[in-house]
Formats: sequence, structure tokens, C-alpha cells
Amino acid sequence: MATTAQLTLSSGDIAGDPVNVTKLATLTKADSTNDLDQSTGLNRVHLRSATQKTLLSASATNRTPGDNKAGKVYLINKSEDASLYVTVSINAQTIGKLYGGDFLFIPWSQTDASANIKVAATNWTSSTGDIPVEYALFHEDTDFLTNA
Amino acid sequence: MATTTAQLVLTSTDLLSDSLSVSAIATLTTAGSSTGLTGTEGLGRKQTSNTSEYTLFDASQHTDDKAHKIYLKNMSTTASEYFEVQIAGAVVGRLYAGDWAFLPWSADSTGTNCDVDITPSANDMMLEYMLFTDE
Repeated sequence: MATTAQLTLSSGDIAGDPVNVTKLATLTKADSTNDLDQSTGLNRVHLRSATQKTLLSASATNRTPGDNKAGKVYLINKSEDASLYVTVSINAQTIGKLYGGDFLFIPWSQTDASANIKVAATNWTSSTGDIPVEYALFHEDTDFLTNA
Repeated sequence: MATTTAQLVLTSTDLLSDSLSVSAIATLTTAGSSTGLTGTEGLGRKQTSNTSEYTLFDASQHTDDKAHKIYLKNMSTTASEYFEVQIAGAVVGRLYAGDWAFLPWSADSTGTNCDVDITPSANDMMLEYMLFTDE
């Protein structure tokens, strides 16, 4: 049940010699060679607010955060406007901004109940239009869904 | 202006009942523009010797609130070995053996100290990294 993630970084002119980095990772569970076996699937939302929204919750009611599990998060700003950005934060700390077309792929360990991943269309206004965002979580936490 | 691209391909033939194939390609540009990033610190490796926290990137050494990009990879082949990655003191996650990450970094040094720190789970581990800068 293998899921792979391949990253290719390339540039012919950012340095004196070309940059060509290709890395392939098989997504596995924490501390093991067993493959990750769950996913939220690819989701799409349209952000139309400068207010932070919780994209992935580490602390949904009635569940135990998947503490230090091997979750992987893919997130992309699908806006075609280079100036429109999405501010990404984890555990209330901003890690960076995804400008139009930018993506991230990061581990997410849900270390505690506050380790939510939040996004905000920080420079959105009613005249800029929505900022479409796509994301997927690959995880092993069997309790990720909120208990009824 | 340089042209640097980052391409991600996620694939699985058996995670779901249908094949998964997600591809994204981004041209790395300066904040809010279509101008390509022109700075990089090059591809580097850091050998750690103990399980203390190391500062990989010091936010105060880079322009605040910009569109820097970071690549990280745990070069270990021992499945139990990981690097815990923190930004601004918040734990992002654990990079287990063979895992890589690619993420934006604002290098905020005014509102908060947005250093990128790593903590290895074992002695003598190797991290590969690269920083593309928007200075």
C-alpha cells in the first residue's frame, strides 16, 4: 500500500552550476517501514476571509490527538494571482506564506491538542476574489475522525 | 532573474480504491510578484553529533516576512530515527528516515523569532537541506 512523494527542484541559473535535486519518499508510519494507510483525499476550499480558519484540527472534540504520528500534509494555493497569499500557521505560530501557485509538503506530528494547522487569506478583500486552496492529509491516526 | 521550479508528484495505486496522482509545479518567486528568486545557500548537509536542538536557519540573518523556501531531508536509513522540526518554537512534525519536506518560510524576526530548529532523535544523524532566499 505504498504512497510516494517525489520532489524535484531545478534551476539552470540560480547558481553558477545547475541545480537539479530529485528526492523520492515512501510515506510510512512513525518508527516503522509500514506504509501510511489513510488519507483525507484531496480537498478544495475557497478562502474569502482574512480571519484564520482551521484546516486540520489536532484537537477535535472527543478524540485524542495523534501525538507524534507520521502525518503528511500537502497544501497548495491555487490562485493565479501571484500577490494573493495564504498565511499558514501551526500551533498558533506562522511558518510561512503560500503565494499564488506555491505549495508545501510537511510532516505533521499533532504533538498536542493545540497543533492545529490554520490558514488565512491575509490580504483578501472583497475585490480580490476567493483564494482556492487544495490540501490532503496522509496519516496513520485511527482516531483522526471525530467520535460521534 | 533566475528561474527555479519545484515539482511535487504524489502517487499511489493502492491507498484508495482508485489510483492517486497529484502533481504540482511551482516557480519560486519573490513575495507577491512573478520575479524569480535569485538567492540560495546551496544544497548542504549537517551532521549532528547529539540529541540537542540545533538552529538550522536563523531568522535574524534573513529578510523579514519574505517568500523564502526550505527543503529538508532526513538522510537516515534507520526507520526509527527522526528529526523534530520546529519553527518559531512550534513543533511542525517529525521527519523520519528518508522523509523530506518543502515549505515556505517567512523568516519573521519582528513579531516572533521564526528560527528553524531541528532536534535529532539519535546521535550522528545527517540532514540535507537547501534554502532559497528572497532577500
